[in-house]
Amino acid sequence: MKKYWKSIAVVTGIILSIGTFYVNSAISAENYPELTVQTVNGNAQEMESLIIEGAYRTLSSMNYLGTDLKITAQGSSYNSPSLLDRVTGYYPTVIKELKEANRSFMRGKNLAANQYFEDNQFLAYANIDQKISSFGSNKFNFEIAVLNKADDEVNSFTLKVPAEEGLDHVFLEDVQMLEDKIYLITRNMLIKNDDYNDEKHVYEIDRVSKKLTNHEALVEITPFKANLHTHIQLVEGSPTAATEQIIMVKTEDTVMEDTESTRVTDSKKEIVAYNLATKEIETINVPNLNFEENQLSFVKDSTIYFTRVEGQELVITPYRLGASQVEKDFKIQLHSTTENDHPESLMISVKEDRLYAVSRQIDSNSNGEVAVVDIQTGKLLFQGQITLGNSSEKHEDFEIYMHEIYVKQ
Amino acid sequence: MKNYLKLVNFEFNRIAKLFAVLLGITFVMQMIGVIVKSRQYLNIINENVFEAMMSKAQFLEQVGQLSFIDIARSIWFIAPIAICAAGIGFYIFLIWYRDWIGKNTFAYRLLMLPTSRLNIFYAKITTILMMIIGLVAFQLFLIPIEMSVMKAMVPDEFRHDLTVNDLLASWPELSIIIGSSIGEFFLYYGSGFLVVSILFTSIILERSFGWKGIMAGVSYSVLAIAVWLLPLFLQEFVLHGFFYPIELLILEIIMGLIVLTASIWFSRFLLMKKITI
Repeated sequence: MKKYWKSIAVVTGIILSIGTFYVNSAISAENYPELTVQTVNGNAQEMESLIIEGAYRTLSSMNYLGTDLKITAQGSSYNSPSLLDRVTGYYPTVIKELKEANRSFMRGKNLAANQYFEDNQFLAYANIDQKISSFGSNKFNFEIAVLNKADDEVNSFTLKVPAEEGLDHVFLEDVQMLEDKIYLITRNMLIKNDDYNDEKHVYEIDRVSKKLTNHEALVEITPFKANLHTHIQLVEGSPTAATEQIIMVKTEDTVMEDTESTRVTDSKKEIVAYNLATKEIETINVPNLNFEENQLSFVKDSTIYFTRVEGQELVITPYRLGASQVEKDFKIQLHSTTENDHPESLMISVKEDRLYAVSRQIDSNSNGEVAVVDIQTGKLLFQGQITLGNSSEKHEDFEIYMHEIYVKQ
Repeated sequence: MKNYLKLVNFEFNRIAKLFAVLLGITFVMQMIGVIVKSRQYLNIINENVFEAMMSKAQFLEQVGQLSFIDIARSIWFIAPIAICAAGIGFYIFLIWYRDWIGKNTFAYRLLMLPTSRLNIFYAKITTILMMIIGLVAFQLFLIPIEMSVMKAMVPDEFRHDLTVNDLLASWPELSIIIGSSIGEFFLYYGSGFLVVSILFTSIILERSFGWKGIMAGVSYSVLAIAVWLLPLFLQEFVLHGFFYPIELLILEIIMGLIVLTASIWFSRFLLMKKITI
């Protein structure tokens, strides 16, 4: 034995040191707070089909990206940093379900939900492939794939994005399909006279002939001015859902720039709708509704939902496009004791005849709200609080930002 | 098995002194680094807070607390790691050539041992692996000690304490050496094992065929690495992301095992039939 002592010592040292390290790091792995949904009133069954997606981070953590989490009626689940989870990925539920249902179609595709369109008949995917040449003229291609669910046939093709003077970047924001036409809504950045121009653009592609049939700019932003900040935001329902109306919000902020900070002195909002079928652009004026106070939160079919917080109530105002009158408000009594009762503090989603409202933010000191409303009758079906499951457990200060409400079929 | 263990012990004892020297360099340099860096920081505190009468809060805002990352990113900490890596890289070749070069042809005796010649190969690769993992284990053991030295030197309010895991999270390059989970540890060192076995095969090729063997060895290495990484190349250039990540990982593991088996089999053939002394 004596002549083996060196080897034995080294092997023992290795096992002890590395073993201790991994055992320790498994034990001291981040202790995520367990969140549960407590029923305040109504039927807890309504919560069963809901998946709330968000990101968790502790205030002291160096990881600014946070950890993805999902909250359901069963509680919360976190994306563990284990190797397997990192390799397989932790995708939004929309993508996860698409992957499970269409494993071969989803191969080699980008996994961003807004690049997909799904209805009963088709699953469409589009991507923009950018080739940057050294001469400064960039080339863009559309890669399109359409799965016909009836016969499982995949139709994929590539198209050149029509060249345009000074086209610098094309970002895909939404994919839509209407009869045999595929619509790609993009954000195009153009350089004109050394100025950046920003516009929303729509490309119409025929699925059968595989040709670009039409394209036009929807909303343009005037070149950057020092005290006027303009941006256009595309408002969607769920990212893969079908809609005939493309709704955009154009915000013009007049800003005061001090040496230390910039502050918005005046904000002007304009809602623009583009109808894919008629190709008409119109500016939407909703009578008796102030866009600064009421936030455009959700779009479903041709109904726009505005939200605002009034005292301890969340007021949701639906507006049907083309109607001259807003419809009856829904009111949800809020229970949580958040100090920041900005209108944006709840996000909403509509699926079939249910409207879901969820707090955008939860932290160690404040609970989150969940509410389900029947949009036909306006009746509150369920209301709950997202709370720390085991309050006796000690946790670091944390914040959770919700970004998606997913409703299962 | 017993012969193999005997050979491992024999090979390891031959390198034990160099191994001890590497451990010593790491310990001494990193300890000096911790002390030097902590004292530097303490001097800055002295100059600003006690001499220039800056308030503690202001000082912390401008200079910040000392955390172990500042020490770990210094040359004192990185240099010994680099020296150890270079030392092992060098010894991967030396472990074979020292048997051939020398007063008496030791390789002759080694190859004449009444045991499978492949055991020599296994013993040498085990020794290399023991050295590498031994150094990593020593580093893992050393970091908490260095942290406590820093704790003893720098007062609480000027110090941002980290755990070893925090250190790895905030310095991703270091997690190549110490994978953040046991699975990654096996993947990284499994890949390392494969690369060493490919290098060993190339060395044996050279020992078998001389100058021609160098060409053969280089070609063999390129070929083996190419076969191993074939799924990655296909994914990137031919199939454009056809495989899902988990499939790619499994394919890579399978290809790695195939290349490893081929390397060992080829080395066995060369050791049995072609090796010259």
